[in-house]
Amino acid sequence: MQIQVKCSCGAENCREWVVVELQGTVELNPSFFQTHLQNLQIGQLCRLSSSSQESYTFTVGYHELTGSKVTLKKPLLVLKKVKRFMDVDQSDDNKGDLPSSKVELDVIGIIRHKILFKTRPKALISKPQPLVKERVRPAGHAVPN
Amino acid sequence: MEKSSRVKGAESVLNLEPNSSIAIGYHALFGSHDDLMLLEIDEKLLPDILHERVALRGQLDEDSVLCTQSKTYAIKFVGNSNSPFLIPPSGQFALCENSQDFDGDINDFAPVIKVAPGNMELVEVAPKLDRLKLLLSENPYSYEDVLEMDFMEDVEKNKPRLYNWDDLVERVQASDEELRNGLCALSAVEIDGFWRIVDEKYMDMILRMLLHNSVLNDWSLDALNEDDVVSVLVSDGFPDKLACHCLHVYGSKVDGDVGRSCVWRLDESRVCVHFARQILSTGKKKMENFMAEWLQRIPARMQASFNMLEGEVLTEKLGVETWVYSFSVSSLPLTPAERFNMLFRERSKWEWKDLQPYIRDLKVPGLSSEGLLLKYTRRTQPTLDADPVFSSR
Repeated sequence: MQIQVKCSCGAENCREWVVVELQGTVELNPSFFQTHLQNLQIGQLCRLSSSSQESYTFTVGYHELTGSKVTLKKPLLVLKKVKRFMDVDQSDDNKGDLPSSKVELDVIGIIRHKILFKTRPKALISKPQPLVKERVRPAGHAVPN
Repeated sequence: MEKSSRVKGAESVLNLEPNSSIAIGYHALFGSHDDLMLLEIDEKLLPDILHERVALRGQLDEDSVLCTQSKTYAIKFVGNSNSPFLIPPSGQFALCENSQDFDGDINDFAPVIKVAPGNMELVEVAPKLDRLKLLLSENPYSYEDVLEMDFMEDVEKNKPRLYNWDDLVERVQASDEELRNGLCALSAVEIDGFWRIVDEKYMDMILRMLLHNSVLNDWSLDALNEDDVVSVLVSDGFPDKLACHCLHVYGSKVDGDVGRSCVWRLDESRVCVHFARQILSTGKKKMENFMAEWLQRIPARMQASFNMLEGEVLTEKLGVETWVYSFSVSSLPLTPAERFNMLFRERSKWEWKDLQPYIRDLKVPGLSSEGLLLKYTRRTQPTLDADPVFSSR
C-alpha cells in the first residue's frame, strides 16, 4: 500500500503554524460548569521586551508562566489525513464492493517556532481574579482538593 | 460594549509586537483531531516533501516507512508530556471565523485547534529488499515461459502471480531508487511489463549458446555487437529481451562508436562464477575435481582464478581432502541479524578473510562495518599476531 504525501498549499506557500507549549496540562476549573472547551479562553500571551532580553508571559487564571520564543532545530510539518473516494467505473465487475477510497496525507502547514514555557507557574495572589476560568497544573503535581 | 473578538491565528502570535498581548483560547472546532499529525523533518528533506516526491509505503501488518526518491525512513512516534497547543494561521479552518460565542474580552484571539500528544520522527533505515527477492522468487522466468507464449489463453488461469513496477512499490518498503538497485542486484528483467528473475538453468542455456555463437562467428568476447548477438540468439529460439538481458548480466557496455549498435564486453569474473555455480549446483566436490571441471567449462579465452569465488563458495577439509561447496552471498538474507544468524549456522567460527565477502554488501544507515561486527559477532585473537576469529555473540 502506498500513501502519497501531497502538499495542497503549494510548495513555497506552506503556511506557518505556531505551538504554544507549556509543562503539564491545563485543567478546567472544577467550579466552572461549562462542559465544552470550544471558544473558551485559556489565557493571555504577552511579549515583554527590554533592551537586554525578550521574554513571553502566559497568564492562565491566577498563574503566570514565563518563557521564550524558540526556533525549532528541525521544522515540524502539519499533516492531515485525507480520504479520497475514487470514482468506481460502473461497468466494473465488482459491483458489490464498497466504493474504493484512497488515503493521502496533505501537508497543510509548517511549524518553525514555538513559544515555550518550561518553568513552573508563579501564583499571582495579589491581583484580583480575572475573567479566565482555568488554572495550570504543573506536571507531577496533584491539585489539592 | 460589544462582546466580540477578532479571531487571529498563528501569524498574530509569531508577530506579536513587543509589550503587547493576545488571548489564547480553544478553537470553535477544538478537538482531538486525530487526522492531524506532526512530522519532524530534516530541513534538507523539506523540498522533497513540499514538491510531493515522498510517499508512505507498507502493508497493513508492517510499520509504515517514508520513502523519498532515494532513501527509506522509519517513522517513530515520540510522545510529549507537555501540552503543545497547536495554533493554525487564520483562515485555515474556515468554520471558526465567526466566533461570536467566544466569551473573552474584546481582544485579539488566537485559537488552539488541538493539543498535540507528540510528533513523528524519521530515522533512516535500510530498504526491506528481502521481500523483493521473495516475491520475484515465487515465479522465476524459465524455459516454460517461452513455450507458453504460444498458448497465452490456456495458461492465464492458475498462473502464479507476476508483479509489475506498481505492484512492487505497493509491497516492498523501499524508495524508487533502492528498488531499482535491488532489481538490478537480483539481475531482474522487465518482461511484458512484469519484473522477473530468470531461472539459472535458463540463463545457463543462453550464455552457453552465446559463447557457442561467439566461436562459430569468430566474435571477440571483448567487443560483442549487441545487434549481431541478439539477432543470432533470437534465431536460436531465445526471446530478444532475454538475449539482451544475458549481455547485461554477464557483460558491460563498452564505450565506442560502432554506428548505432552497442558493444559489450563479457565480464570474465561473472562468466567464470556462473560456471562454478553450475558445477556445484549438484553438491560439493573435491577441490581437484572441481578445478579440473571448472577450467574445462569456461571459455578458452578466459582465465579463472579461485579468488573470483569469494562470497560464492566455501572450502572444508575432510581428512586430507579439501572439498568445495556452494555458499552464495546472494542466497543470504539482507537484514544483518538474519545474515549473521545464517553465517554462524553455517560455521561457528569465521576468519576475517572468509567472513568479509559475506558481509561487505550489508549497509545499515548509521552503522559502520566495524559497528556491525561489534554488534553481531564476538572477536577473539589468541595471540597478537594471529588473525582474529569471529564467532556468534
